[in-house]
Amino acid sequence: MTAAAKIRTGIAGLDKMLHGGFVPGRPYIVSGPPGAGKTILAMQFLREGLEGGERCLFVALEEPPNELKINMRGFRWNLDDLDVLDANSDIRRFEPTPILEISTEEEPIKVRALGDRIRKTPDFESKEVTVHSLQQLLKTLLLKRNYERVVIDSITALKYFCMREFEEAVTTQSFMRYLAESKVTSLLTLELPEEGEVPPEAFLARGEIRLHKLRDETGIKRFISVEKYKGSSHDEFVYAFDITNAGIVLNTAA
Amino acid sequence: MDRVKTGIVGLDTMLNGGLLPARPYVISGPTGSGKTILSAHFLLEGLGQHEPCLLVTLDEPPIEVKSNMATFGWNLDRLKILDATPDIRAHKRQRSVIDVGTALDVRDMEDVTEIRQSSGIRALEVNVHSVQKMIKQEFAHHLERTKERYKRIVIDSMTALKMFSMQGQDSRVLTQSFLRFLAELESTTLIVSERLDRKILETEFFLSRGEIRLHKWVDGSVVRRAISIEKFRGSAFDDKMRPVSITDKGMVVYLDGPAQTRVASAGPIAGESLLETRLIDEVSNVIESVMKGIEDAHRRQVPIRDVEVSLSRAMLAFQRRNYRKAMKIALGCDSDLKERLRQAPPAPPTAIPPRPPLVAR
Ligand SMILES: Nc1ncnc2c1ncn2[C@@H]1O[C@H](COP(=O)(O)OP(=O)(O)O)[C@@H](O)[C@H]1O
Ligand SMILES: Nc1ncnc2c1ncn2[C@@H]1O[C@H](COP(=O)(O)OP(=O)(O)O)[C@@H](O)[C@H]1O
Ligand SMILES: [Mg+2]
Ligand SMILES: [Mg+2]
Repeated sequence: MTAAAKIRTGIAGLDKMLHGGFVPGRPYIVSGPPGAGKTILAMQFLREGLEGGERCLFVALEEPPNELKINMRGFRWNLDDLDVLDANSDIRRFEPTPILEISTEEEPIKVRALGDRIRKTPDFESKEVTVHSLQQLLKTLLLKRNYERVVIDSITALKYFCMREFEEAVTTQSFMRYLAESKVTSLLTLELPEEGEVPPEAFLARGEIRLHKLRDETGIKRFISVEKYKGSSHDEFVYAFDITNAGIVLNTAA
Repeated sequence: MDRVKTGIVGLDTMLNGGLLPARPYVISGPTGSGKTILSAHFLLEGLGQHEPCLLVTLDEPPIEVKSNMATFGWNLDRLKILDATPDIRAHKRQRSVIDVGTALDVRDMEDVTEIRQSSGIRALEVNVHSVQKMIKQEFAHHLERTKERYKRIVIDSMTALKMFSMQGQDSRVLTQSFLRFLAELESTTLIVSERLDRKILETEFFLSRGEIRLHKWVDGSVVRRAISIEKFRGSAFDDKMRPVSITDKGMVVYLDGPAQTRVASAGPIAGESLLETRLIDEVSNVIESVMKGIEDAHRRQVPIRDVEVSLSRAMLAFQRRNYRKAMKIALGCDSDLKERLRQAPPAPPTAIPPRPPLVAR
């Protein structure tokens, strides 16, 4: 694939590492331990799309949308037109009250319309997000709104909170397959433990960008690498990056 | 945005002013690292600002918390304390379990004088559900009585809560739900958690809005303490590990001293076998030797970028304590590099710098 046919990731240094950017229409993973910068990277990816007039969707499974909005304020990015789908499950009920799966009628909210306070679980019913209902909802939304870029933050939350444990492997795989077939360019964040094995989801996407967070005497050192990129050449080197007021910046002439 | 001060000056500086309000944070660290003391600073700071503060204690009964804190001379009288320490009986399942609603035990710290008497016939069962229900009730009572919401809440500890109540249940979903519950209260919450295994991704660590980590290790014959911020959503922060001491005035964080790092070999780390220690040494040796070889190659202008790439991978694997993998890659680098250097033309003789002229004195 020529660089011209690729789409930009929103981070100049990363585009160079990917020899131009992402091959469009495929799912990618950005992995790293908590606090590595995955959500920020994902936002930069969406912001790039918004600037080009693309329709973009952020599916929030870890952060309540109101907090997401506050967290991104410091970067002064214009995210007003970004659609955010609140896929955080409500507080679980212990009493037998009706549990409602997230409905296919659920609508994303534009960042500009997001309030500052957290949505409250209603008294008599709880919204629960299952992977099946979310997939149905995404299907509807993609048809209705023609999204070009979608972020799922995170696939870990989807696996931990929205699937039954015994069917995790199969369900995750089929969710990834669905995304690949949907022809949208999607970025899924994946939480890694600080040490040890990388979870199997990392191997399911067409490409994986990994964020590393290490400590030495000068503090936290952040690195970025491309672990895999099917169908394209890419840079094998590990580069250092910083999180600045402009988001993720690779500090090298990659 | 307004920041919520932790009450520890150095820590607030590290946090760029304090925590972002109305969010749950994790305080992590091994036993005895100072998690409860840090939490007490946070509550004391709130009380000083006339904010309603609630401590939910699962690890130590209120009387113990009270006497521990008395040694610092702090006045925590107006702190509300919810006793959620479990009765042993409940876990032996010998007695029937009362509805937690009737067991709600919230007192002013001031009135804490003795250990809660566990009922002879019924026992308080502690689980996520009951603790959540207790907090909810107390929150509502307090709002009704005083028209004020709790501003600060400490859960000490999540580890205990999980241990008592999440066996066999889906602990991930319950933790998610509990954190959601805390977030909806819109108080600033500290969740104390002992990290048991860094190879396991615990739900509260990625769902919390930040993590403050306490470190404690033995260096020769002294105990060393340090603090670091591992994650803080929505804010920049001081990412160095800073020395900490616990004095009779509580916890002090030093910003001007040298930043601390805990070297892998300092003190025994649980589960680290002798074999692993030797592996660590050997990998470090190989990596070091490759680094020397790389310098050599640069001097002789032998292209070895691919070796550098692999070495950076070996170092990342090393940092993740994946020593076997690190060893494998490093050995590969080593032999590649040696081969490359062997085939390369010999190094140009290093220019001998001209002797400085002798200056007659
Ligand atoms: N303006 C900023 N300057 C520097 N660092 C920031 C800034 N804003 C956020 N960060 C850092 O970015 C990290 C969070 O990144 P995030 O993308 O939420 O991580 P992840 O999604 O991988 O858990 C935080 O630890 C935070 O301290
Ligand atoms: N007055 C004091 N002076 C010095 N150190 C103290 C004092 N009181 C407690 N400590 C230290 O504080 C530690 C206990 O801190 P604590 O917050 O209870 O730990 P954690 O909650 O992480 O288990 C103990 O290791 C003890 O050595
Ligand atoms: Mg994130
Ligand atoms: Mg404690």
